[in-house]
Amino acid sequence: MLPVLPALRGLLPRGGLARGSVVTVAEFGVLALALLAAASAAGAWCGIAGIPEAGVLAAVGLGLDAERTLLVPDPGDAWPQVVASLIDGCELVLLRPPGRAPAQVRQRLEATLRRSRGVLLVAGDWPGAQVRLRVVTQGWTGLGDGHGRLRACAAEVVADGRGEAATTRTRWLWRPGEDGSVTVADPAGIPVADRPLADIPAAETVRRLRVVNAG
Amino acid sequence: MRARRPDALVPETPRIMVLRCPGLCDLAAPGPQAAELFEQVIAAVTGFCPQVEAVEPGVCAFGARGPARYFGGETALAGRVIAAVAELGLEARAGVADGLFAALLAARGAGRDPVLVIPPGRTAGFLARQPVSVLEDQDLAGLLTRLGLRTLGDLAALPAGDVAGRFGPAGETAHRLAGGRGSPPLVAAPPAEDLSVAREFDPPEPLAEPVVFAAKALAEQMHDGLAARGLTCVSVQIQATWADGRESRRLWRHDGLLSAAALAGRVRWQLDGWRVPADGTDTSDGGIAVLRLVPDQVILATGHQLALWGEAMVSDRVARAAMRVQAMLGHEAVLRPVPGGGRDFAERVTLVPFGEKTEPRLAAGPPWPGRVMGPAPGVVYPFAREADVTDEAGAAVTVTGRSVVSAAPAWLAIDGEPPRRVTGWAGPWPLSERWWHTVAARRRARFQLLTDDGRAWLAAVQDGRWLIEAGYW
Repeated sequence: MLPVLPALRGLLPRGGLARGSVVTVAEFGVLALALLAAASAAGAWCGIAGIPEAGVLAAVGLGLDAERTLLVPDPGDAWPQVVASLIDGCELVLLRPPGRAPAQVRQRLEATLRRSRGVLLVAGDWPGAQVRLRVVTQGWTGLGDGHGRLRACAAEVVADGRGEAATTRTRWLWRPGEDGSVTVADPAGIPVADRPLADIPAAETVRRLRVVNAG
Repeated sequence: MRARRPDALVPETPRIMVLRCPGLCDLAAPGPQAAELFEQVIAAVTGFCPQVEAVEPGVCAFGARGPARYFGGETALAGRVIAAVAELGLEARAGVADGLFAALLAARGAGRDPVLVIPPGRTAGFLARQPVSVLEDQDLAGLLTRLGLRTLGDLAALPAGDVAGRFGPAGETAHRLAGGRGSPPLVAAPPAEDLSVAREFDPPEPLAEPVVFAAKALAEQMHDGLAARGLTCVSVQIQATWADGRESRRLWRHDGLLSAAALAGRVRWQLDGWRVPADGTDTSDGGIAVLRLVPDQVILATGHQLALWGEAMVSDRVARAAMRVQAMLGHEAVLRPVPGGGRDFAERVTLVPFGEKTEPRLAAGPPWPGRVMGPAPGVVYPFAREADVTDEAGAAVTVTGRSVVSAAPAWLAIDGEPPRRVTGWAGPWPLSERWWHTVAARRRARFQLLTDDGRAWLAAVQDGRWLIEAGYW
């Protein structure tokens, strides 16, 4: 079991990242970086593949040790071999596959993963993943109409998966909070109206987030 | 392989001069130009002393005793060397002390006066005043500081046995260095067994990249050969034989600290210095026929060596994985992020190819006014994305030179994606960088935008164009 930040424990069966397993996050972002932080701080090497826009400073702010981080921004067509190599060297690999992975490729990587006892975090879809996380709602505080600045973001994260993870778990997180950390948020205390993230065409007129200027 | 003379077994600390070119060594990823310049620096220094050793990019060292006698003293010698380097258009600092470690610190510490000579016998006192942070093993330095040992003198005052017992071999080496007793004792090399490794290229290889890959394998082979005999080396000579029969060689400091990848990095730099083209441009000397790595001054490995040069401890397992990926995709494809200074989120992280020295491009130290406050974005685009920001009436939002916004942003359309409704915004925060520099000067006005899908963006207006630099999710 690789450790995760305390705020993320409630989303994962047995409170950590099980070695040899695949965990997905629907979209790359702070949540994916936060999942790396505690293991990295505890001494694990992390590889990040296929994500040239990974915000290293945000990750470092969460606890990632840049000294033990390898970036392969563009793994190209040979990405399955690249990821297999990274899994051999790093205990934790965050991957956004450049394309849809055929079942055979996935199975080979999963076998490599079980052998090396690492964890593969996938930003995107990975059929057969043990745990799947996604942000369903998010809202920012601090920014007004021409004034203020971004301060903190409250996000509702839903986890489900297979086996032990089959029960759906939901947590509200500050992602990030004002100091850049990821912590548990009390839904009652969140000053933003909730609103589903996906499924709504951008053009549709929707109720605006009520944003409270925390300053 | 050169065996140590028997009298070298008697511990006598040599007078070492270190020459440091700040313009060449304070670069994150020293490029071909720097390598070429450094070659010229070494050539210039060779005029004073034939045996010059490259310590790291931009830093070289040589024994000062002989040449100082000839040129009228250490200060005079240093002045001449610095003048010779100045003719190349480079500033240099020199340090002279008993032993390499102190000389390196002296060269680093040389201030307005470009030469710092620590007189013979005074090195221990000079070292004693240095903070423990000069030890590149920052974990150890941090530990010592927490224990109240703030200077090398504090450390040196402790009994050697206690230090070794408490901090292990790393502490033992640090204690030795702090006391001015130099690197671990040199032990005579075993009978002249050839531990050098070589790779022939047939046909000769005109490009640098394949040679560097071969160098990694060679370095591993050399390290394996040394390790199997319980040995390590103080320096390593990189030798290249060209297709036309010419030979080039250069001695690099090793101290048992360089990983195979790091040694390959030195080879890469050396090839740059010898002008081996990185890409397919033609070359007059027909390329490299043989690359040879020769361990120099072979000594008994004492287990743990102190990381003097800031090479983070990279385990073999990680190094192998990274190098395998580099072999597939190229040297620049596997990067290590190094947080540093700067105003942009993108510029604040320097990406250094695996195996090269990890130093930030911009120092983290000075304050960087104009930074965007608040949490760092999770998504930082390596290349800012073009966008259109329009007001309620559909007109482009503009910013005047005096930071006046034409209208409140109402829509954000990024790179052909469907427009997003802007639900909150702040700015403009003007930022004018490098105004003294006509080419690199940038004037930007920055904004934070919130869109109705719950996402937040860092945007900038530059030369009338909207750019999205980062996303907060």
